[in-house]
Amino acid sequence: MRAATPSLKRRLRGYVLIPSAAWIIGAASLCQAQDVAQWLARAANAARAQNYVGTIVYQHAGHVETSRLAHMFDNGEELDRLVSLDGPAREIIRSAGEVRCYYPDSRIVRVEPRTIRNVFPSLSAEQQRALAQYYDFRKAEQARIAGYDAQAWVFEPKDGLRYGHKFWAEAGTGLLLKARLLGEGGEVVEQFAFMDITIGGPVDRSLVKPTWPATPADWQVREGSAGETAPRDTGWLVSRLPPGFVKIMEGFRRLRGKPDPVAHLVFSDGLVAVSVFVEPVTTAPAHAGFSQQGGVNVYSVRLDDNLVTALGEVPGTTVRQIASSVTHR
Amino acid sequence: MNEQISRLMDGDADESEVERVCHGCATGPVMETWVCYHMIGDALRGSVSEATSAAPGFSQRFAAMLAAEPTILAPQSRLTHRLGVSWAIAATVAAVAVVGWTAVSLTDAPTTAIARAREAADVRAAQLRPQAISPDYLLAHQEYSPATAMQGAGPYLRAVAVPAGDAQR
Repeated sequence: MRAATPSLKRRLRGYVLIPSAAWIIGAASLCQAQDVAQWLARAANAARAQNYVGTIVYQHAGHVETSRLAHMFDNGEELDRLVSLDGPAREIIRSAGEVRCYYPDSRIVRVEPRTIRNVFPSLSAEQQRALAQYYDFRKAEQARIAGYDAQAWVFEPKDGLRYGHKFWAEAGTGLLLKARLLGEGGEVVEQFAFMDITIGGPVDRSLVKPTWPATPADWQVREGSAGETAPRDTGWLVSRLPPGFVKIMEGFRRLRGKPDPVAHLVFSDGLVAVSVFVEPVTTAPAHAGFSQQGGVNVYSVRLDDNLVTALGEVPGTTVRQIASSVTHR
Repeated sequence: MNEQISRLMDGDADESEVERVCHGCATGPVMETWVCYHMIGDALRGSVSEATSAAPGFSQRFAAMLAAEPTILAPQSRLTHRLGVSWAIAATVAAVAVVGWTAVSLTDAPTTAIARAREAADVRAAQLRPQAISPDYLLAHQEYSPATAMQGAGPYLRAVAVPAGDAQR
């Protein structure tokens, strides 16, 4: 860019460090940190270990999409099936080893291996502290959602780098019946909510059985290969990581149609995550700048012969700050 | 200082000017000027919203600064033809500055104005580049998000939803 830019970046880096130091707090919030972690663990455990079947409504940017969800927990294994009720009957099957997305309208099946189990709910002490430090966590009103008594909880961010979160947890199990992302002005960015749900009891195996064969004849299969299981240094780092975010994964993965491995780094503040992808590109990337899918913001920027993309459940400014401060070690 | 802020926004500031403005941003008046100038830029580009212009005390500050330095509005092309550079620098500074500023709590009221100005920048940039997201990236990300663990399979709907559900990408 211009001659002033390197100097600008150098100055700004100093300004990030000062508040980081100022935000280091004492042991007072540790108590709360454990409360938050316990609450999150209860929700995560319910989402995993309960059986439930219901209709889920996904609202984002003026769109309303309704899907049928069945979740079965059997012998320590989770099995999910999600089918769109509006428009094309797109279907997601999530099992222990992979996620398969069926797009019957374009006759494509997309397969994403699940190589590393979700790190949640075992939050590190650092993440627990970050949660209590960067969000105000509080109990809100009681409500009735999809026929169940629910308790609302709010995570209000203390800075502009995070969204607000409101969750409605079913009173008996802690299962989240409604989850809402809130912008700075309190506007709803995205919402998932059950319209009806049955929690507990046996789930008929036919409800989680895929409509389609694993690879339907004359469908196109787009399969990502498994990433590296062991953490690996990719050589990339984020110089201006927002406070409270810590790296929870780093490695290479192969995405379909990409000849070279793509570096994938994941950072989390304990409640949300931001992924950073760095992929070599030889031609001008088809997409750069901002994009958005509901609560997930994306920012892509070209860095030499690479396309750097940051995406996560955070405001656009946050993914931009992260993507534009990626450097090679 | 106002001239230096203006030059920094346009990417014309030299190193010493950048340093002065950045240090100055730790104080209320310089930051207010910074926000004000960006709102002027928004207005010129027609992207200022009612919410933004209604920030507390905005109009008074705007009027005062406009009276003090009318040249900021001219020539108009200076603010528009360098849109890309101006936005990149401006938004970065605003984003970072709001972090530091909130922390040290030198003042409280204009934080909202900065946040709104920054949000306006985001919206503006998003409008300039409407893009669909690669479902490959979304799927790869989803697995690691605590939100997925808490909400179960629901968030995977993003990968098949409109508009990201464009399976061809």
